[in-house]
Amino acid sequence: MTEATAEVTRPRAEVTPPRLFRDEARTEAVQCLACGGPIALRGFGAIQRVVCPACGSLLRPEDSGALALIHRAARAHQPSVLPLHARGRLDGALWEIVGICWRTVPGWPWQEFLLYNPYRGYRYLAHSPSDGHWSLGQVIPGAPKVVPGKRHAITYRGRRYRHFSGADAHVTYAEGEFPWQVQVGDLAHVDDFAAPPYGISIEEVAGSDGVELTRTAMRHLDAAEVWRAFERPGKPPRQKGVGMLAPNRWREQARSLWLSCLVFLVAWYFAVQFVAGRATEREVFQATDLRFDSALSQEVTIGEPGSSTTVEISFTADPLDNSWAFAEVVLIPIDGEEAIGLGMEASSYSGFEDGEAWSEGDRQVDHVLGRVAGGRYLLQVTPERDTSALPGSDPLGLGSFAPFGVRSPETWALRVREDVFLTRYAALPVPIILGFPLLAWLLGRRRERKRWANSDYPT
Amino acid sequence: MLREYAAMRSHRSRPPTRVRAAASARGVMVPRPRKWHHASAMEHERQVSCPQCGAPAPFRGTAVSLVCEHCGSTVVRVGVDLRLLGKVSAVVDDGSPLLLGSKGSFAGRGFEIVGRLQLRYARGAWSEWYLQFADGVGWLADFQGNYAVTTPAPDGPDLPGFYNMSVGTWHEVHGDEYMVVDKRAARYQGAEGVLPFVAEPGLTFFSLDLAGPDDQFVSLDYGVDPYQKRPDVYVGRAALLAELGLDRLRRFEGWRD
Repeated sequence: MTEATAEVTRPRAEVTPPRLFRDEARTEAVQCLACGGPIALRGFGAIQRVVCPACGSLLRPEDSGALALIHRAARAHQPSVLPLHARGRLDGALWEIVGICWRTVPGWPWQEFLLYNPYRGYRYLAHSPSDGHWSLGQVIPGAPKVVPGKRHAITYRGRRYRHFSGADAHVTYAEGEFPWQVQVGDLAHVDDFAAPPYGISIEEVAGSDGVELTRTAMRHLDAAEVWRAFERPGKPPRQKGVGMLAPNRWREQARSLWLSCLVFLVAWYFAVQFVAGRATEREVFQATDLRFDSALSQEVTIGEPGSSTTVEISFTADPLDNSWAFAEVVLIPIDGEEAIGLGMEASSYSGFEDGEAWSEGDRQVDHVLGRVAGGRYLLQVTPERDTSALPGSDPLGLGSFAPFGVRSPETWALRVREDVFLTRYAALPVPIILGFPLLAWLLGRRRERKRWANSDYPT
Repeated sequence: MLREYAAMRSHRSRPPTRVRAAASARGVMVPRPRKWHHASAMEHERQVSCPQCGAPAPFRGTAVSLVCEHCGSTVVRVGVDLRLLGKVSAVVDDGSPLLLGSKGSFAGRGFEIVGRLQLRYARGAWSEWYLQFADGVGWLADFQGNYAVTTPAPDGPDLPGFYNMSVGTWHEVHGDEYMVVDKRAARYQGAEGVLPFVAEPGLTFFSLDLAGPDDQFVSLDYGVDPYQKRPDVYVGRAALLAELGLDRLRRFEGWRD
């Protein structure tokens, strides 16, 4: 950069205003000292650098108000997504874009719009052209605290922000007015911390006379919100992917989803209790101490003719150790045609293996039939059993002992009940109730993974 | 934030020799701690005039110097007499919406803006507005739309030197932890109104700004000696312009506050 202060515009006013600045501050229109193009000065007094929008030459306001050319450039004007001097209403105040600065960390360019309101200072509106996301930044006075731990994180005003990325950012393009000494090529180390939709950016700028640590609080903005605020025609650039501060509605709703899930579960529990309490579970048939050598044949009446009911059949055998018993149950409607047949096996096995006791099988098997038409039925049961441990089951007649630990069943029992509660249907809503928050959690996690894939901590 | 040098420095235990010599040579009055200086200051409040142009020189409170509103001369109060220090470089327009003479309040205490010190460093300029409260003084830092109000804190234990505090590190000041957020050497640019010391351009000041987790703001003023261990400490917090309830603000073309 060459300091060519000899080239100076005329002072802004013929009579230097009194130093008390009680008069109105005025905007101005001047000409670029390098290309002669028009430059509108709308940033009032705090401006340190003016970059000619047309040619990119760098100018410095002198104390007198005149502009001094400090670096002549001949770059072409490049359109940004919002134009210089556009005004928009954000955060309940009116703002004007007085400067535009394109910055980039390797692979991630963004356009920074310097918003100015003389009574409110500056805001930084950032737009990432690669994914279309927007954020609004404001310098914060406080110092975020570093949270001790493995993962780099900070807290500020009760919110915890996780480190997203840290990189050196370069200025690649500038136009307009800046209250700092902007220059293409400027370097600053930027650390971004995210707590979507909020973030904090910490920027370290080193100068010849000191170091400054700027903390900027950021907030995600919807592209449509920006377009509305600045009254832009058409549609904003499409948002792609998950921006650093893009909200995650799955995560935001997780709490209410889990809460409603809990409410539904409680409601479901009481509904089940109520319905189960209404089931009469009337006994239709019961017989115990039945012998295996004969089949059972019995006429039973189930439910009311013309309506249907649920029927539970329970089969059990005794004794049953490392053995099995089987019953073929058939319900033949006396006035109908469709018989119901089912096989029921009761078994019990246990042992001791590799230092661990194990057991499996059920001594009693229950089978529930849904929608059984009411009427008279012939109940036929044909039992079978494991005969290996019976005294008479010695085909070779060796008279040896029965296998150790095996006891074959000697009697069986059967019970038939109607109007029983169908547990398998009662449980049906549970996966649906739990499904919504679980799905939201999965989708939320997917979105977070997409977001953090662009960070310094891809998972 | 650098607010005092020269005369102010001479009440310290180890002022920079050069400054002390300069101050005593001019016979500048040394301000005392405001609490027991207040009453006598009131007695001094009589009508005095600028030795240069004869316009009224409205000294007040503990003010030591005044920039004449009419001719721009710096007038220094020496005991009951006034001395002329000549013209100093003027305040440049930094676009601040604040005005000298505005009245406002901070944390329930009313104040009037009675003076302004403008400072410049390599990356810009900022103003320190001198506030006169009913029961004391304070400073309103004004940098690019960010404001903080501070008041002088009593002397505490020794602090590290300017070069031993790096940006981003946490330090204890008066029992609380703060992070260094700004470290800079600055030059005095200009002044208006009254100031509690003689402001003279040309020297480089060293100062550190620290911020607390709850928006507290601390400024360590090393004056011209970055190696000293007892910088002046100013403690306060960040403030919004709207919160100060100033009765008037500057007007800007095309904007309404």
